[in-house]
Amino acid sequence: MRLVSILSIFAVSLSAASAAVSFNRDIRPIMADTCFRCHGPDKNSRMANLRLDLRDEAIKPNKKGDTPIVPGNAQASLIVQRIFSANAAMVMPPRHAHKELSAAQKETIRQWVEEGAVYEGHWMYQPIKRPVVPSSAGGHPIDAFIAQRLAAAGLTASPEADRRTLLRRVTLDLTGLPPTPEQVDAFTADQSPDAYAKVVDRLIASPRYAEKQAMYWLDSVRYADTCGFHGDNAFPAWPYRDYVLRSIRDNKSFAQFTREQLAGDLLPDANDETRVASAYNRLTRTSAEGGLQPKEYLAKYGADRVRTLSSVWLGTTMGCAECHDHKFDPILTRDFYSMKAFFADVKETGLVPDQGAKAWGEVMMLPSSAQKAEWTSLEQRIAEAKRALETKRESLGAAYEEWGRALPSLMKDWAVQYPVAAATRNGAKLTLHKEEPVLSVFDFGGSVVSETKPANGIVIASGPNPDNETYELTLRPGAGTWYSLGLEVISDDRLPGARLARGSDRLVVSDVEAMLGGKALRFARARSNMTFWDAGLSPWNAINGKADTGWGAATYRTFRTAFLALDLDEPLTTTAATTMRVIIRHDSPYRRAVTGRFRLALAASPLAQPIADRTQNPTIPGLSADLRKALEIEPAKRTEQQADDVKALLDSTHAELAPLWNALSRLESERAVLRAQIPQVVATVATEPAETRVLARGNFLDDSGMVVEPAVPVYFGKLATDGRRATRLDLANWLVSPENPLTARTYVNRLWRQLFGIGLSRVLEDLGSQGEWPTHPELIDWLASEFIEPAVDMAPGAHAWDMKHIVRTIVMSKTYRQSSVPTKEMLDKDPDNRLLARQSRVRVDAETVRDVALAVSGFLADRFGGPSVRPYQPEGYLAALNFPKRDYSESHGEDLYRRGLYSFWQRTFLNPTLAAFDAPAREECTVNRTSSNTPLQSLVLLNDKTFVEAARVFAQQMMAAGGRTFDGRLDFAFRRAVSRKPEPAERSILRALYTRELARYRATPAGAKALVVVGEAPRPATADPVELAATTSIARAILNLHETITRN
Amino acid sequence: MQNEANQHIARRAFLSRTSAGLGWAALQSLLSAAPVKTTGFSGILSPLHHTPRVKRVIFLYQAGGPSHLEVFDYKPKLAEMHGQPMPESFTKGQQIAQLQGKQLTCFGPQFGFKKYGKSGQEISELFPHIGSVADDVCLIRSMWTEQINHDPAHTIMNTGNIGTGRPSMGSWLLYGLGAETDNLPGYVVLMSSGRGGQMQPIAARQWSAGFLPSKFQGVKLNSVGDPVLFIRNPPGMNAAAQRDSIQAVNALNKIQYDALKDPEVLTRIAQYEMAFQMQSSVPGLVDMSKEPKHILDAYGATPGDGSFASNCLLARRLAERGVRFIQLYHRDWDHHASIKQNMPLKAEEVDKATAALINDLKQRGLFEDTLVVWGGEFGRTPMSQGGNGRDHHIKGFTYMLAGGGIKRGFSYGATDDLGYAATENPVSVHDFHATMLHLLGIDHLRFTMKYQGLDARLTGISGELVKGILA
Repeated sequence: MRLVSILSIFAVSLSAASAAVSFNRDIRPIMADTCFRCHGPDKNSRMANLRLDLRDEAIKPNKKGDTPIVPGNAQASLIVQRIFSANAAMVMPPRHAHKELSAAQKETIRQWVEEGAVYEGHWMYQPIKRPVVPSSAGGHPIDAFIAQRLAAAGLTASPEADRRTLLRRVTLDLTGLPPTPEQVDAFTADQSPDAYAKVVDRLIASPRYAEKQAMYWLDSVRYADTCGFHGDNAFPAWPYRDYVLRSIRDNKSFAQFTREQLAGDLLPDANDETRVASAYNRLTRTSAEGGLQPKEYLAKYGADRVRTLSSVWLGTTMGCAECHDHKFDPILTRDFYSMKAFFADVKETGLVPDQGAKAWGEVMMLPSSAQKAEWTSLEQRIAEAKRALETKRESLGAAYEEWGRALPSLMKDWAVQYPVAAATRNGAKLTLHKEEPVLSVFDFGGSVVSETKPANGIVIASGPNPDNETYELTLRPGAGTWYSLGLEVISDDRLPGARLARGSDRLVVSDVEAMLGGKALRFARARSNMTFWDAGLSPWNAINGKADTGWGAATYRTFRTAFLALDLDEPLTTTAATTMRVIIRHDSPYRRAVTGRFRLALAASPLAQPIADRTQNPTIPGLSADLRKALEIEPAKRTEQQADDVKALLDSTHAELAPLWNALSRLESERAVLRAQIPQVVATVATEPAETRVLARGNFLDDSGMVVEPAVPVYFGKLATDGRRATRLDLANWLVSPENPLTARTYVNRLWRQLFGIGLSRVLEDLGSQGEWPTHPELIDWLASEFIEPAVDMAPGAHAWDMKHIVRTIVMSKTYRQSSVPTKEMLDKDPDNRLLARQSRVRVDAETVRDVALAVSGFLADRFGGPSVRPYQPEGYLAALNFPKRDYSESHGEDLYRRGLYSFWQRTFLNPTLAAFDAPAREECTVNRTSSNTPLQSLVLLNDKTFVEAARVFAQQMMAAGGRTFDGRLDFAFRRAVSRKPEPAERSILRALYTRELARYRATPAGAKALVVVGEAPRPATADPVELAATTSIARAILNLHETITRN
Repeated sequence: MQNEANQHIARRAFLSRTSAGLGWAALQSLLSAAPVKTTGFSGILSPLHHTPRVKRVIFLYQAGGPSHLEVFDYKPKLAEMHGQPMPESFTKGQQIAQLQGKQLTCFGPQFGFKKYGKSGQEISELFPHIGSVADDVCLIRSMWTEQINHDPAHTIMNTGNIGTGRPSMGSWLLYGLGAETDNLPGYVVLMSSGRGGQMQPIAARQWSAGFLPSKFQGVKLNSVGDPVLFIRNPPGMNAAAQRDSIQAVNALNKIQYDALKDPEVLTRIAQYEMAFQMQSSVPGLVDMSKEPKHILDAYGATPGDGSFASNCLLARRLAERGVRFIQLYHRDWDHHASIKQNMPLKAEEVDKATAALINDLKQRGLFEDTLVVWGGEFGRTPMSQGGNGRDHHIKGFTYMLAGGGIKRGFSYGATDDLGYAATENPVSVHDFHATMLHLLGIDHLRFTMKYQGLDARLTGISGELVKGILA
C-alpha cells in the first residue's frame, strides 16, 4: 500500500544518519518489500533463477553472461540497469507486481552497489553480544542508548513526569489498576531518593502485578475457556491460567516457564505443577463437528502450534512456510513441518469430543487433598458395592434372565397427570394443557421439525423468566396405588438452555418434592433416562434437599425428553378426592436453568422406567422400544450398550438386587457430583509420535511429502541429541539456549511495547526481514543480554531469564519516567515517538478499562486465581451458537466483580465489553493488541450495565465518604478516578450537570428509582434515590472521561 | 497480530482527513447544543482504481449450505440415476464430510424445475418468486470452494482465507471505501433462522475486521433485545439526560485536549458524538411500522419478527441510509436429512422476500448501484445421505448475483451431468471476491495490507475477474 511506503521512507529518513549505505538498515527493507518475493529463499517462486538474498548468488553471472551485481560497478550491474530502466517491459520490479521503487530507493541501491555491495546478516539472526553502553555520566544504560539517538536527531529527553502522573503510570502499567489517593499522597510526600524504587518494588511484589502481566501472556498462548470451533463449548483450561499467574507472581525464570509449558510432562522432575503448565500444548482451537476429516483437523492443530511458537518465542512468522518456503527469512517449508513434528507425540484426535465421558480427550484432575481422600474412599465403596451386586446377581443364576423375560408383561405405563392447578414462586406463568393441540419445535435426526399435536397434559412456562423459580402443581390422580412420580421435561428448539431450560446452558432441577395434605412424601430413589451425568447432574440430587446440586442436562444429545423417575419409599394410595402437590425447585446458581415444558406422571407399577420421549413409544408400557428389543436378544448377542442397559434394568427392578443397585447408584452419584467439583485441565500426554510429512501446499490429503523428524529450522543448525528423536523438551531447551538469539529479543521487544505503547521494532510477531528494523537494535540486544544474564552490579539477586528484573530495569529508567507531554519540536521531528524524547500516552487495555471502573468505585474483588467468572453480558448475545443452544448465565456476588482477566473467554463470541476495547478472541496467538477508539466504546462506557452499576456504586461511595457537599464529593471522586482534584472549569461543568440532573430526577423520581437499582451490588437502604441518581450521573461522567481510561 | 504500522498510519490518515474536523464540529455542537452534520470516513482508496458499477453490497447469505440440486441446478441425469451407485470416477480421492467411507448412491433432485421469464432460466419450482425475477439475475452455476466443514467454509467465504485473523469482505470494503453514513455502522450483519434444518453455529469472527482496525468490523443488528449492543440508555435516563451527560463528558474531554493537545482526545470526543447519533437513529431504522402494507406484504414481513423477510426489508432501509455492506445470514440450510420435507420450508422463508427485495430496489432506483448476492458456504452432494438427505459438498454449487454491472437473465458456468463438480467456467471464492471488488471500483490485486510479512489481500494469492457475468 501507499501508506506503507510512506512509513518506510520515514524509517529511512530517521536512520539516514551516516552517509554510507548499510545493507541491513537501508537495502534489506527495500529488497524484502520488492525483490525477495521472486528472487529470495523460496525456490518455487524464484524467477530467472536469481537470488538476491545471498551475495554469492547475486554476483554470479547468469546464463547469458550478465551479472546481477558487480560490486563496485553499478553501471555494469544488471539489477541497477533493470531498476532504472525506462522500458516498461524491462523495468524491475515488473508492473504487475504493483511495487514501485521511489527515486530515492533506486539511488540507495545504486550507491550500495557502487560502495561494494556489502551484505550483512539480518540483525535478528545474529548471536546476541552484550553491546557496550554508550558513555554517559553514570546514568541508566537504557537512557544512554536512547540519548544517543536523540542527540543525533537533535532532540533531548523530557523531564520526569510529575509525581502524580508517574505513580498513576507505573501503577497502571504494572498492576492494571489506578493508585489510591492515599498512595498518591504518600508518594508525593516521600522525599527520599529511593521513593520511586520503593513504589516499583511494592507494585512488582503485588499479586495484581501477576494479573496484569498474565493478560498478555494469555493472549500470546491463545488461552481461552472454549474450544473455538463449531459448538464452541467450554473446555477445562483455567488451572493453566492459575499456573501462569503463580509463575509470574513467584518470578519463575522465563527459561523454566518455557520448559514447563512446552514440555512440563517430559521433565525429569515432572509434577502436577509442570503437567498443568504443559496444558499449553492443548490450548489450540478444536472441533467436534460431525463429518470433519480428522487428518485435516490434526493438520490444523499442528500448524497452529507452530505459528504460535514461532510468533511468541521466535518473533518469526512461520505460518507462510506451511505452504511454501518463506520468501524473506531463512525458514523453509520443511522447517515448518519439522517444528510441527516436535508436537507429534501429543496424544489427541482430530475430532475432539466436546461432551460426554470422553470430552476433551486427555484431561487431568486436580483434586484438593480433601477431595482426593473423598475420591479414594468413594472409589473403594463403589468397588465394594459393585462386588456385592455382582455376587448377588451371580447367586441368582438363571433366575436373573428369567426376570428379564417376565418383566415386560409386569410393566404398566405411566399415567400422565393433568394438573388441576399451578403456581410459581417468582412470577413465571405456567399454562396447563390437557388434550388441545400445541406446537412443538424439536430436533429430529438433524432437522428441526414443527409439529402440532394434542398436548397430553403438557405444562408450558412463559412470561417472566426469573433466575430461580419454583413450580407448584396440584394433581388429582384419582383412585389408585402409585409407586413412582415421573417428571418428563420436554425439549423444544425455542428454549435457549440446551433446548430444555428457559435460560442458561443447562437444565438444573435442584429438588422435587411431593406433598399429600401437609405431609411430605419420601422418595427412596431417583432414576433418569440420561445415564451419563454431565456436570454431576445426577437424578439423586433432585431428592437430596440441597439447592446447589440438581438433576438435569448440560449437553446437546438428541433426546426429545429428559425423564426423572422418583420412586416412592412406600406406595401411595389415593382416592377420587385426593389431591397432592408436586413442587419443582430450581434454586441452583445457574440463572434461568429452569424447566420450560414438562409433564407429570404417576406409575401404578414399581417397575416403570424413565424413558426418553415416551410419546414416541406409546405402545410399550413403561419400557423403551430399544430396551425391549435388547431384552429379547440372547444375552450373548447383545451389544455392549445393550448388555449394560439390560443389566441396569434388571438390577434396578429385581427385588433382591434393587437395594444393592440403589446403594451403588447413590455412590456413583456422589462421585459424579465430586467429579464436577474437582478442577480439571486438558492434559498433554506423550504417546508414540505420529508420522509427520511435509504437506505439499498445506494439503492434508497429499501423503506424498517427505517424512520429517523433529528439528529446529535448518538455518540454526541441528540439535545435539546423539541420534535420539528430539523432543518438546529439546525444543524448549533450544529456545532458551545461547544458540537461539530470537527468544530474548522477541520477549524484551514485547515488554517494551507494554511499557511504551510501541515496540522498539514495531511488528512484535515478526522481527525478521518483513518486520521493522528496530529503532534501537543495540538497546534490544542490551535488554536481551540483561534478560538472559543480569549484570550483577546492576541487579543484586536477579537470576537468569528474570522476568521481574527486566520489567524493573525498564521502569527504573528515566526514559520510562519522563513526561508524556510533547513539545512542538518533538511532534515535528518524531510524531510517532519512536526516538522516545517523551513517554507515550496509551489507552488502557480492555480488562483494565473494566478493572479501573470497578476499582475506582471500590468494589473490585481481589481474589487471586480460580475458575473463570461470568460478568454481565447482554441478553441474546450467544443466540447464534448451537450444540447446544445456550443462554449466558451470569455469576453471582463477588464473582460479578472480579478482574477482567478472569472473565469467561468465549472464543467465537467474546464478552462484548472486552471485545469493544480490542481484547482479542484468542482464536489464534495475539502478541500485539490493537488499540482503537470507536463509538461502540462510548456506548459501552455510557450504557453497559457493568459501567452503569459501577457509576452507581461509585456515587454511593462519594456520598458515604466524600462528605456532605458536592465539592467534597467531587474531589473524592476525581482523586479516585484520575488521581487529582478537579480544575475549576471541570467543577463548574459537573456542578451544572448535577443541578440539572437533580431537577430532572425530582421531576421524575421513577427514573431515579430505576437507575439506582441497576446491577446486583448492594445499595444502602437509606440512600435518597433522587440524590443518588444525580450523583450517579456525575460518577458516570467521570468514569467516561478519556483521562480515566488513559495512561499518560 | 495486527500490523500496527499500518493501523497506526490508517488511524492517522483517518484523523487528519476526517476525524479532527469532525471533532471540532462536534465541539461546536456542544456549544450550540445542536446536532452536527458530520462526514464519515471516506475510505483508504481515494480515488478508486476504476469507475465503480455499484456502491454497496447486500449479501443474502444462506448459511448451512443450500442444495444447488433443489434450488438452481437441474440435473435430469441425476434423476435418471437415482438410487444407483455414484460412479467412482466422480468421487475418487475427494473430500467428503459425513459420507466418509460410506456407500455412495445417486440421489435425484427432489423437486421439479421450470424455465422462468424470457431468459428461460431453470429454477426449482419451489422458488416461483425468484423465478419471477429470473430476467433480472445472473446465476453462477459453477462455484466451488475448498473447505468442507461449516466454520472453515464460512471463514473462507467471508475472508478468502481459512486462517483466523483475516478481515471479512465487509471490513475490507469499509476500509477501502468507507460508508455513506455517519450515524450507522457501515457494515451491518443481520441474522435469522427458520425451520427445517440444523441451525449451525456462526462465529462472530465471520464479521471480524481481522488485522484491520476494529472500527471496520461488522456490527450485528439484533432482532431480540437491543438492536445494537449497548444502544439503549440506562434505566431511568431519557435522550435529553443522555445528551446532557455526553455534552458534559465532551466538555471535560475538551479541557483535557486543550491542556495536552492529544488528538486521541479529539477522536474520543467525536466518538461520543457519533455514539449519540447512533442512539438517535437506530430506533428509527429498525422501526418498520411505517412501511406501507403492500411493501410488508410483498416481502412477507411482520415488523419485529426477526425473520429473513423482515431482514430483507431492513436491508433495503440500510441501503437507503448509506450502509456499505449488508450481510443477512439465514440459517439452517444444513439438510443432512429429510431434504424433501425441509426444502419447501426454506423456500417459503426466502423465496418471496428475495424477489421482493430485488423488486423494491428496482422501484427505488437502488438496484443499479447495488450488488445483491444470494448463496451459502457450499452446496450439497448429488449422493444421498441416509436415503433422504445430502451431505456437504464443495466441488460445485450455485450463486445468484443481481444488480449494477451484472448481466441479467443469464446463467454462467455449469456443473457436470450429475451436479458434482463445476466443469464449465469454474468460479472460485477468490474469483467471486475479485469480481465483487471490481464492481465496487477496486482492483483486487492492488487492494492490499501488510500482514505477517506479506501484502495480504481478500483474494489471497489467486482470484480472476469473472468477466463473463459483467454487463
